[in-house]
Amino acid sequence: MSVETQRSIATMRMPGGLGSLLPALILIGLFFVVPVLALLLRSVTEPAPGLQNYSALLGDGTYARVFFNTFLVAAVVTIVTVLVAFPVAWMLAIMPPALASIVFGVIILSMWTNLLTRTYAWMVLLQRTGVINRALMASGIIDQPLPLINNLTGVTIGMVYIMLPFMILPLVGTLRAIDPMTLRAAALCGASPFQAFRRILLPLSLPGIAAGGLMVFVMSLGYFVTPALLGGTSNMMLAEMIAQMIQSLLNWGLGSAAAFILLVVTMALYALQLRLVGARRATGGA
Amino acid sequence: MLLDYDRMGWLRVALLCFTTLVAAFLLLPVVFIVLLSFGSSRWLAFPPPGWTLKWYQELFADPSWLEAALTSARIATMTALLAVLIGLLASFALVRGRFRGREILRGLLLTPMVLPVVVFAIAIYAFFLRLGLGGTTIGFVIAHTVLALPFAIIPIATALEGFDKSIEDAAIVCGASPLEAKLRITLPSIRIGIFSAAIFSFLASWDEVVVAIFMASPTLQTLPVKIWGSLRADLSPVIAAASSLLVGLTLALMIVTALLRRRFQT
Repeated sequence: MSVETQRSIATMRMPGGLGSLLPALILIGLFFVVPVLALLLRSVTEPAPGLQNYSALLGDGTYARVFFNTFLVAAVVTIVTVLVAFPVAWMLAIMPPALASIVFGVIILSMWTNLLTRTYAWMVLLQRTGVINRALMASGIIDQPLPLINNLTGVTIGMVYIMLPFMILPLVGTLRAIDPMTLRAAALCGASPFQAFRRILLPLSLPGIAAGGLMVFVMSLGYFVTPALLGGTSNMMLAEMIAQMIQSLLNWGLGSAAAFILLVVTMALYALQLRLVGARRATGGA
Repeated sequence: MLLDYDRMGWLRVALLCFTTLVAAFLLLPVVFIVLLSFGSSRWLAFPPPGWTLKWYQELFADPSWLEAALTSARIATMTALLAVLIGLLASFALVRGRFRGREILRGLLLTPMVLPVVVFAIAIYAFFLRLGLGGTTIGFVIAHTVLALPFAIIPIATALEGFDKSIEDAAIVCGASPLEAKLRITLPSIRIGIFSAAIFSFLASWDEVVVAIFMASPTLQTLPVKIWGSLRADLSPVIAAASSLLVGLTLALMIVTALLRRRFQT
């Protein structure tokens, strides 16, 4: 191909390239950016102009408790998810493909099953007279049913369940990219399995763990459905509080201020994740 | 040795046991809900005292369930079509365009995936109330397309990045118009990406709860809104029956995807 032809193809593509971005930009601009900015505006104008909504939110003990709860749940969910996901991803990365595809099938089935369906199942499983309490009592481990629902235990179990695939699937990619030779070399040089794990496997998979963990943390911070159904009234999370302020209390000023705080925290963590792993990898997991 | 499946010894046994346990944990609610839907106890006793189909009869006797499912299917189909079309156009610009701020625009278009849905839900709810689009099918489709767009762009852009552009250029040199070359060479080559985009954006709408709760009106509610309402009222086994049908649908979708992927790849 001559340079001329190459150049003409390149110039032909250029205007079309930007133009084809237009529908997406109009959609996101008009129906995402504008409504979110309008919400921000509402948080500083209702009921009167000023920052009183924010000072109310940040100065009140009740709201402080909700913020604390939200961060606590998100942190616990992230830690448990990482601890459970790592060994599974490790196995999936090296298992024979036939065996691995069964496990992948289970993960996809759980991930694609309707969110409310999964949460409903946990509501029934975890209730006072539910299967889990009965099984534990029948086996003599406990005498009294454990309070597994309408508290942080319920929320944690339900959230970890939902977040696991989001942690396992990207981690498999990270672990597969590690050259097994590095670990063979470590063993040849006399490293014990534990040393090889701590000094080689873990550090090499740390970027994947950090990226996945941060994603799970961010998703957990703003989660609405599962905490609303499995949590209790005394330990409400932020997303549920926002929904309640708008839907039941019709307090748009306070609700949008809380929403904006959630937005800022989420976006800051997202920016941190982009820094850690680069834009492509951060969003390429879907 | 830690990454050699055949030479791990006891560690492999331990990790395999753990993996099996986690797989069982992931499978538990799905299997449980299907079994429960056939159990005869109204109070969801398990194992059930007997087996019955009466919850499915109750489900089909109540037209509001079917109506909600059809509404969801309609909205999700329109959302998937729109998201794939807009996402396809955007992906070409994002992958091939050489303009300033490309990464920023990419980030902007993917933001709806990262922002907590509840924030977007109240924002778009307020916006649509003002425009008179609250509780309308158009409103639902627009809001869901915003949420689905990242799930359409990611697989299409990934497929497009893996496609060798010189094949398209060759077609143009051989006399095809740029549009013709895209339609007849490029699109068929990235069909797996387009197909994944369609499935992901359909599911993004079909499963969407939070925006739907705010947007729904007494005359227009999607299936998740209907389930949400019933869940808040009681834990009736009818919800288990409806849920089991959704599990069946998921399985069907997985099988179709696997089959199509196999056909595309050979």
